[in-house]
Amino acid sequence: MSGDEECTRGDLLTRALGGERAAFAALVRCHQRAVYSLALRMLSDRHAAEDLAQDVFLQLYRNLATVSSESHLTFWLRKVTLHRAIDRLRREPRYEVAALADAELPASEAPAGDPILDRRLRQLLDELPPAARAVVLLRYQEDLDPADIARTLRMPVNTVKSHLKRSLAQLRERITSTAWALT
Amino acid sequence: MSDDRHDDMEIDPLERQLRAALKPRDPPEGFAAGVMARIAAEPAGPRRARHSPAVAGWVGFGLAASVVLSVLLAHQWQVRRIEQGREARRQLLEALRVTDEKLDLTYRVVNAQPRAALPQHSGA
Repeated sequence: MSGDEECTRGDLLTRALGGERAAFAALVRCHQRAVYSLALRMLSDRHAAEDLAQDVFLQLYRNLATVSSESHLTFWLRKVTLHRAIDRLRREPRYEVAALADAELPASEAPAGDPILDRRLRQLLDELPPAARAVVLLRYQEDLDPADIARTLRMPVNTVKSHLKRSLAQLRERITSTAWALT
Repeated sequence: MSDDRHDDMEIDPLERQLRAALKPRDPPEGFAAGVMARIAAEPAGPRRARHSPAVAGWVGFGLAASVVLSVLLAHQWQVRRIEQGREARRQLLEALRVTDEKLDLTYRVVNAQPRAALPQHSGA
């Protein structure tokens, strides 16, 4: 999840499991980018995303003994983050219509490519239902294949593929209808 | 992700654009410190909250002892109830025996009276 040097050390989880706070803090630093990004794309609200991501790490701290490996940790963080976000969107649908405050982000964080098209795509992503949005995020942000997405979101692989197909069709149609041409 | 994972998925400009649009973002400065501050404010961590094996052993022993004691008390209560029932039965039988003796005595006294002393009922 992060290319940071401390994240390449294999003993972070073991040390954190042994009760070493510094090791747990390092784990947070290694995974914070992925967890926060998922929360941000799901909720489209930076403060809500930060709160949710912190809650996820707090939950991880309380349940660290149930995590068996680094890959399990990554899987666990994705699963908990998305389920929490989906629950929150169902509980408080206002987040579904909130606009992502990309303009407030520092210029250094802006992705390469066409920033206007990127922003439009993220806006269209906000219009997808929460479960479909989670599927798209795991596919195109986390780069997971449908089987891994199905395991993370606890849904059949065919449902994942169906979500992806429908979501892409919807995004394509809206992009086209609003005259945002892809190059 | 390797390209073989995309076998069943069409790669098109929209998908490429989505990948570009969904590049992960860093959280605000101090995020990890905020998490650790919240953890520090926790009353007790999960591992610290857990009982040691010795404590867990004593808790198990206590529970088992409670169950055994409950069974013994219930058994004792049942034995007392049975004893009370037997005592009541014994008293009832004694009362019946005394009553039987009294009735028997009365019967014998009545039958010991001379027949002549009994009032004669003439049929004429």
